[in-house]
Amino acid sequence: MREFGIFDVLTMLWAVQWTAALVVIALIFGAPLGLLLAQMRTSSNKVLNLIALCILQIVQGVPLLAMLMFFYFGMPMFLGVQMPALVSVGVVFSIFAAAFLGEIWRGGIQAVHTAQSEAAACLGLTKWQGFRYVVAPQAFKIALPATVGFLVQLIKNTSLASVVGFVELARAGQLASAATFQPLMSYACVAAIYFAICFPLTHWSRSLENKLNGAR
Amino acid sequence: MALVEINNVRKTFGELEVLKGVTIEVEKGEIVTIIGRSGSGKSTLLRCINGLEQIDSGEIRIGEQVVHAKSTDLRKLRQHVGIVFQQFNLFPHMSVERNITLAPILAGRVQKGAAARELALKVLTQVGLAEKIDAYPEQLSGGQQQRVAIARCLAMSPDLMLFDEVTSALDPELVGEVLKVMEDLARQGMTMILVTHEMGFARNVASKIVFMHAGKVHEQGPPAELFANPATPELQNFISSTR
Repeated sequence: MREFGIFDVLTMLWAVQWTAALVVIALIFGAPLGLLLAQMRTSSNKVLNLIALCILQIVQGVPLLAMLMFFYFGMPMFLGVQMPALVSVGVVFSIFAAAFLGEIWRGGIQAVHTAQSEAAACLGLTKWQGFRYVVAPQAFKIALPATVGFLVQLIKNTSLASVVGFVELARAGQLASAATFQPLMSYACVAAIYFAICFPLTHWSRSLENKLNGAR
Repeated sequence: MALVEINNVRKTFGELEVLKGVTIEVEKGEIVTIIGRSGSGKSTLLRCINGLEQIDSGEIRIGEQVVHAKSTDLRKLRQHVGIVFQQFNLFPHMSVERNITLAPILAGRVQKGAAARELALKVLTQVGLAEKIDAYPEQLSGGQQQRVAIARCLAMSPDLMLFDEVTSALDPELVGEVLKVMEDLARQGMTMILVTHEMGFARNVASKIVFMHAGKVHEQGPPAELFANPATPELQNFISSTR
């Protein structure tokens, strides 16, 4: 056994890059998917709307932890191949981000008055041009505070990846705790690092919200 | 051949029949003013003309194009038919210049940059707001916003302009400046169909008045005739109630 020391802190800080990697993966794949879901949910096509709604209901109705276990432990039984933890965990967080961003952005799109897209259509813009130039910029501004708020949720939730042995910040804390038998110090350190990352984002989200409300 | 032919158009919203067989012809250069009580179907008719609303039966033709035909490219049609709304519906996140030039640029009518700015200046001069080219909608009064909305339509050099109660949302002292712009347009020979409660404007500028009542064209004719000798009690009532 060894003492909890600077080495453990450095290991944890090193592990932050894997937390960051998960967040980046979730956003890279989740954001376009989320945009697609938001489009489907706001489209006049009932079938598309229903498909998107089903996906959202399933993702929102299943705990993230259960999804992680399903994809890491369950899927390999079905597929017959063990996927690397990064892949299965990345898939789960992408789906998670897609569902929640999709709903946040749907709200933003619907908050832009239909008269705006009507005006765009009346000027001879295509549906896509109307979305791209008229609706999306306004919806983005409305949805930005909630999007940043979700980013905080996402960062904190990546700690769940530790249950399948993926070494990100929380798992690094577990390992340090096991090696030093100093859970108090280890987990306090983990918490402090999460807080240091999330607090500025929360603060930013709140100031965006104030600015948005002030602009109205 | 008339520029616009509205032929026996019917339209229902659920159980409610809003248009019960409306027939109107508009010649090129004509100013047709549709008057009538709220709920008589005026605005719905206007929205049908540029295909914002579907119709149940009948036909609307603009130039060679039948508006509600499957083969009609509404996008192309709307590049020639401008509409100005009661609530202006300017794009709040864009400058006046961008509001005006967005559609012409996307339609490939004008190059981005100096040429587009020149076009914006030209149409803004027409509505007397050239100095507001770099302003944002929220910095303008209601009357100015509505004039920008008119300029935005003009930038597409439409063959026909539709006006849907464009002065109804304005403070009384701002109505005049918008009506003046519309009078100028009328004088320049623009074909216009407008729904309005401004009886003075209807009387002085319109070439034809259409009085709608209960989803039908109740009476129509030149303003002098119609206002002097309303043939039906409904129009008599309407005229005396608006005085």
